[in-house]
Amino acid sequence: MKANRWGLPDLGIGVGLRTVHFAHILSQHPPVDWFEVLSENFMDSGGRPLHILDHVTERYPVALHGVSMSIGSTDPLDREYLRKLKALAARTRAHWVSDHLCWTGVMGRNTHDLLPMPYTEEALRHTAARVRQVSEILERPLVLENPSSYVEFAASSMTEWEFLSRLAEEADCGLLLDVNNVYVSSFNHGFDPRAYIAGIPADRVVQYHVAGHTHKGTHIVDTHSDHALAEVWDLYRLAWRRTGPTATLYEWDEDIPSFDVVHAEALKARAHREELVAEAAGVARGA
Amino acid sequence: MALEVPLGRLQRWLQEIVVHPGTTEEAVAGRTARALVPRRRVGEVILPSSRLRPEERLAIYHDMYLLRMEEALESDYPALKHFLGDDGFRALVAGYVRAHPSRSYSLNFLGAHLPDYVRAAPGLRRRAFAHDLARLEQAVAEVFDAPEEEALRPEGIAAVPEAAWDTARLRAIAAFRLLALRHPVNAYLQSVRDERHDHPPARRGDSWVAVYRRGYTVRRQDLDRAAYRLLADIVSGKPLGVAVKAALRRGQGKRPTRTQLFRWFRGWMASGIFRSVEAGMTGPGDRRSGGPALKDRVTALDKKR
Repeated sequence: MKANRWGLPDLGIGVGLRTVHFAHILSQHPPVDWFEVLSENFMDSGGRPLHILDHVTERYPVALHGVSMSIGSTDPLDREYLRKLKALAARTRAHWVSDHLCWTGVMGRNTHDLLPMPYTEEALRHTAARVRQVSEILERPLVLENPSSYVEFAASSMTEWEFLSRLAEEADCGLLLDVNNVYVSSFNHGFDPRAYIAGIPADRVVQYHVAGHTHKGTHIVDTHSDHALAEVWDLYRLAWRRTGPTATLYEWDEDIPSFDVVHAEALKARAHREELVAEAAGVARGA
Repeated sequence: MALEVPLGRLQRWLQEIVVHPGTTEEAVAGRTARALVPRRRVGEVILPSSRLRPEERLAIYHDMYLLRMEEALESDYPALKHFLGDDGFRALVAGYVRAHPSRSYSLNFLGAHLPDYVRAAPGLRRRAFAHDLARLEQAVAEVFDAPEEEALRPEGIAAVPEAAWDTARLRAIAAFRLLALRHPVNAYLQSVRDERHDHPPARRGDSWVAVYRRGYTVRRQDLDRAAYRLLADIVSGKPLGVAVKAALRRGQGKRPTRTQLFRWFRGWMASGIFRSVEAGMTGPGDRRSGGPALKDRVTALDKKR
């Protein structure tokens, strides 16, 4: 097992910083290892959200996670957005800055959805060039998350994990591996999620996401609205065996329960990690 | 067989379908979408899954778009949604995002044009009331996110030379909005927040509201006409002496007493709505306008807090 190639720290088990939990976090200072902060929620707010964020960053490590970089869009990069993102990263002393392999709009519009990319050579060249630009502007390697998706493009000439692997290599970026997204997309598109996990360059994974989803019968929607299935945790364990100790975050964004419920779900990751460490130690002793 | 579509064109096509106001079938068949990808060739762009046709897969994105827009606008305009009802609000959102689609990285700005849109929205019931309600909720949303600034302290007031006070100007904090409305929408908003069932009637009736943030909490304060006019003069940058004299000159029934003036200033200072006082030019003309007395009043009132 080895850490990611940049030596970015294993922050432990974190949860997303959400408005409904602000009062609990400020009053109880829960023993959570770290928080993931949704960048866009704080970029343009000078009021209570920013005040609370400052309190949180005094006490906890954080990483920034965005939904609006639109890295795959054919529109020009939004320089104002990147300027504000860089400033927020500095203010929060964020360990890294992540977004999604997707596009959110073109022709100046924003759908505020994480729209899928075709996995073509053209899209790869285009996205890699933009990732390099963003990393230069942010003065740190960008970290990209694998998306959940509901359509596949006939023009794709490679799998999503091949695209991500080549993108990470060509643009020298990190990966945020969302094992729930792997599960969701594997159901929607009919691929083997284990092949996906096996195909990801382990030394580029700097963070995990785990979450619940909603099964619609014909497809699965990535709603972040529930506990994670055992199959999703199995994928987490499979990936963890390849990457070793890596910062892990539980996402819960719809029908958000109390902080303690979310944190308890996140802490399941710790139990899995401890089992995996014991398992690895046993293998080493046996060897 | 895949249809070769350059990335930019593919994205324009998919976006056109996602944001189309009709059904996915209508979107795919629409003139703009057809010009980018012929309808009969959709299956050469989007693969079917084992359970869904290409158009059904596209519908997942299409159907989520308006829900997401509605959710974002509801967070800033909950009372407007309550007033219009679920169906009315949904129809308003559908028309609004067609006219004013998001062009920002943040959904925070999506509702920036909603009050103006409501004012002219076709077929909206009790539109004038809805417009005022939207203006008030927009002010609340703006004040919530405005930059934090330290409120004016007694030392700041004491630092203004006595002779300059009459021409001094008070500057409001960024988290401050002042509204003159044609309907008592502040009471309606409060009744929604309180989850009451007896909402005030959507009748005509002038009202004036100051919206400001204090201690990271957004507050709304009803004003009477005279207080509104004085405060509006002050925050628009008029010298204090001019603003106060204008207030004292106003016609019967609108003219505040000096006691009222003291009370208002004391309240405004306590509310922290001013961030600074800028000393004005001093000169014979300025002194004649009676400034020093006003400074003394404000300072004295502040010390009583």
